[in-house]
Amino acid sequence: MSLRTIDLSLSRNGARILSGVSLAVEPGHVLGLLGANGAGKSTLLAALAGELPADGGAIELDGATLARLPLRHQARQRAVLPQKPSLSFDLGVHEVVAMGAYPFPELDPVEVDELARAALDLAGVPGLAPRRYPELSGGEQQRVQFARVLVQCQARRVPGAPRYLLLDEPISSLDPKHQTELLRTTATLAREQQLGVLVILHDVNLAARWCDRLVMLGGGTVVANGAPDAVLTPDNLRAVYEIEADVLPHPTLPGRLLVLPR
Amino acid sequence: MAASLLKIVAAAWAAACMAAAAHAAQDAPARRVVALGGTVTEIVYALGQGDRLVGNDLSSLYPEAATKLPRVGYYRTVPVEGVLALKPDLILASDQAGPPDAMARLREVGVRVQVVSDQPSVRSLQDRIRQIARALDVPERGEQLARSVDAALSAARALPESHARSVLIMNRTGTPLGAGGGTAASLVLELSGLVNVLADQEGYKPLSAEALGARAPQVIVVPRLSLDAAGGKQKLLALPGVAATPAAANDCIVVMDDLLALGTGPRLPQAIRALKETDCVARAGQSPRPAG
Amino acid sequence: MSLAPASRLARPGRRAAPPAVLAGLGVAAVLVALLAALSGAVHIPLADALRVLAAGATQPDDILWRNVLLDIRLPRVLFAAVAGAALAIAGAAMQALFRNPLAEPGLVGISAGGALGAVSAIVLTAGGFAATAPAAFAGSLLATGAAYAVGRRVAGVAGLLLAGIAINTVAGSLIGLLTYMASDAQLRDLTFWSMGSLAGASWPLLAFLAPWTLLWSAWLMRQWRAMNALLLGEREAQHLGFALVTVRYKLVVATALIVGPLVAATGGIGFVGLVVPHLVRMTLGADHRWLLPASMLAGALALTLADWLARIVVIPAELPIGLVTSLVGGPFFLWLLARGRRF
Repeated sequence: MSLRTIDLSLSRNGARILSGVSLAVEPGHVLGLLGANGAGKSTLLAALAGELPADGGAIELDGATLARLPLRHQARQRAVLPQKPSLSFDLGVHEVVAMGAYPFPELDPVEVDELARAALDLAGVPGLAPRRYPELSGGEQQRVQFARVLVQCQARRVPGAPRYLLLDEPISSLDPKHQTELLRTTATLAREQQLGVLVILHDVNLAARWCDRLVMLGGGTVVANGAPDAVLTPDNLRAVYEIEADVLPHPTLPGRLLVLPR
Repeated sequence: MAASLLKIVAAAWAAACMAAAAHAAQDAPARRVVALGGTVTEIVYALGQGDRLVGNDLSSLYPEAATKLPRVGYYRTVPVEGVLALKPDLILASDQAGPPDAMARLREVGVRVQVVSDQPSVRSLQDRIRQIARALDVPERGEQLARSVDAALSAARALPESHARSVLIMNRTGTPLGAGGGTAASLVLELSGLVNVLADQEGYKPLSAEALGARAPQVIVVPRLSLDAAGGKQKLLALPGVAATPAAANDCIVVMDDLLALGTGPRLPQAIRALKETDCVARAGQSPRPAG
Repeated sequence: MSLAPASRLARPGRRAAPPAVLAGLGVAAVLVALLAALSGAVHIPLADALRVLAAGATQPDDILWRNVLLDIRLPRVLFAAVAGAALAIAGAAMQALFRNPLAEPGLVGISAGGALGAVSAIVLTAGGFAATAPAAFAGSLLATGAAYAVGRRVAGVAGLLLAGIAINTVAGSLIGLLTYMASDAQLRDLTFWSMGSLAGASWPLLAFLAPWTLLWSAWLMRQWRAMNALLLGEREAQHLGFALVTVRYKLVVATALIVGPLVAATGGIGFVGLVVPHLVRMTLGADHRWLLPASMLAGALALTLADWLARIVVIPAELPIGLVTSLVGGPFFLWLLARGRRF
């Protein structure tokens, strides 16, 4: 059971973006997707999100071809947090978060409220419920959107039926404290609720700290795929980011790595 | 036997009484009349029945007294409740009045609606006068008016005709329009013994400067309000195509009252006479047509 | 528990409770309808009006009054309410579809197509309401269908927008051509048709229009989740399980079916579809679960009020309703924008 691509190739507007990409998002684990700008990370996420069809290879959700699954069905199993949520209309925070339950119209309003409240709690912004979304700061808005996808992941959760969460640079507007909180929450949920998470990150150290597995994309192909210590090597970092860096064992967190660009 | 016979007679008598009453009610002269249509109103006044009018429409511009009455709006979009508010017992409606829905509704509510012929022809004018007179219960006056209009028309038409080339220019919205065939304006020109250079055009259309130049009218007729809208005589003469016409060269611009020029009403003979008696019109017919 | 950072905007949002607003709008709509039904060109004293409605005609004037109240005013007031509600909810749907508060049903060609149909009927046939109305309805459906079919070839909702603009332009040129060909009398009819009128209200018309409009409006109201999701963004709406092509199709079809017959029966009534959803959004926010029903009530209220004004301002004449909505709606809208309130 996983959300995965098998030898995926994808072109957009005539340009080949991804070639032969294979990766699997597995329940209970956080998969970090790294790569330089333009490497194809967002395209890969869009493919996993059901937005782009494969030109070659396959995209599968729990064994079924993604393109054949109805959108509603996909939405009940997989939530996506976009990079720049753009909402310019005047909705309340509670309404925005409650939208996570839209793929589950059978839920009654009381259950939806309960889910929304719990999600806002998890996202660290319980006090924002009565506020209007357009008034919030960028960071607050991002966390409210995070709460929304949490609702989508947790609604009608059945043990044995895994859920997947795709996060596209979810921490860009957050300060360090909230960055950590969001990633910690994500990792905890993944472990406790058998959630399969894919997260695109620019900060290599955060990836090292919070991800169980990493995939490094370079020029549309997979440069490295595996545990952090296998992926985060000075050679890979040089190949993908064109930087010189040292990779050390983390001084305070056992089992984690620390990357120091020179 | 006698009882049933008595009943039959009584019923017949009652029916006869009711019929007579209904007939009488129909015949009761209407005291509150609403007129829809400029020439309809004009004819009502010409029949001496103007004091029976309680309302008319926006196109009722003559005589002056008509403009002081309540206006129900434009005669092609008459509001039902507005008309009813005037408590009319008779509505004299041009056959162009509408919308048909509103006319039907007024009838349904029990108001007497008399539709009269309103086409640009002398025959229609005669019919209109007679129809209105009949509806107002003054048929003799109607005959009188019709006959006097007829006589005046013959007299006016008997005056020498100049067969000059002419055009009527109208301006309501900023774009000058020329009167083509089938319009009341064209009728006035033709009855005045003039040749409408735009006779092959259907209705009012924007003026073509080239056509005007090619057809070289010697007489230009302009309704008063249109002249004002165009900015006065000098502005009119400056319009493209107009400036080059013989009419402009000879300053043969005839200004007429709007209803006179654009409607077929009882003053039609006056319109014809006015045109024929204008100096430049009479003279124009005598000059040869320019070559080409 | 984290401390919420200071908000960027100084004014904290406060939105009225939706059920209270809905109730308020409902009450106001009923009151305005009563006012509109009880006043007009024909002066009927209130006591007499109630008596005539309840007990029937007993005095000579009663027959006229009863006719005016039951056959002229009541259908017209109901027509105004139905038309206003329909235009407003269609406007809200278009604003959700295009994710733009300036959108309104005319964007997809409904009004221009309807006008073209009506103009064709007036100029090319003997005319009359019997021909104009079905022609206008057919025209609006054809135009919207063309805009949708062509717009699908371009990705996103921009295709629909551009196709709508193109269709509007083409319709406009054809209307211009037909206008040129029109006789004087036909021109007058055209002008008044395009200014809009509720004078065609009658019980048979309402018997069709009211259930039809309410049916499609109810269906639209059920799409509130999809419309909210669209506000998040097209990608996000898809991630929540809404297929964009399907949603767009549904919204366009519903709008065409709701507005088409209205344009046919009333001519052009502008501004209601644009301004009413705005005002509602300013009070209630953009949640379509409340925005849609509230727009319907507010639209009914607004158009009933406008029609009442149209009927009493220049007694015994009447102003065309489209004129009133533009004259009042236009400056009002400008004033709202100038105040800088949020959408």
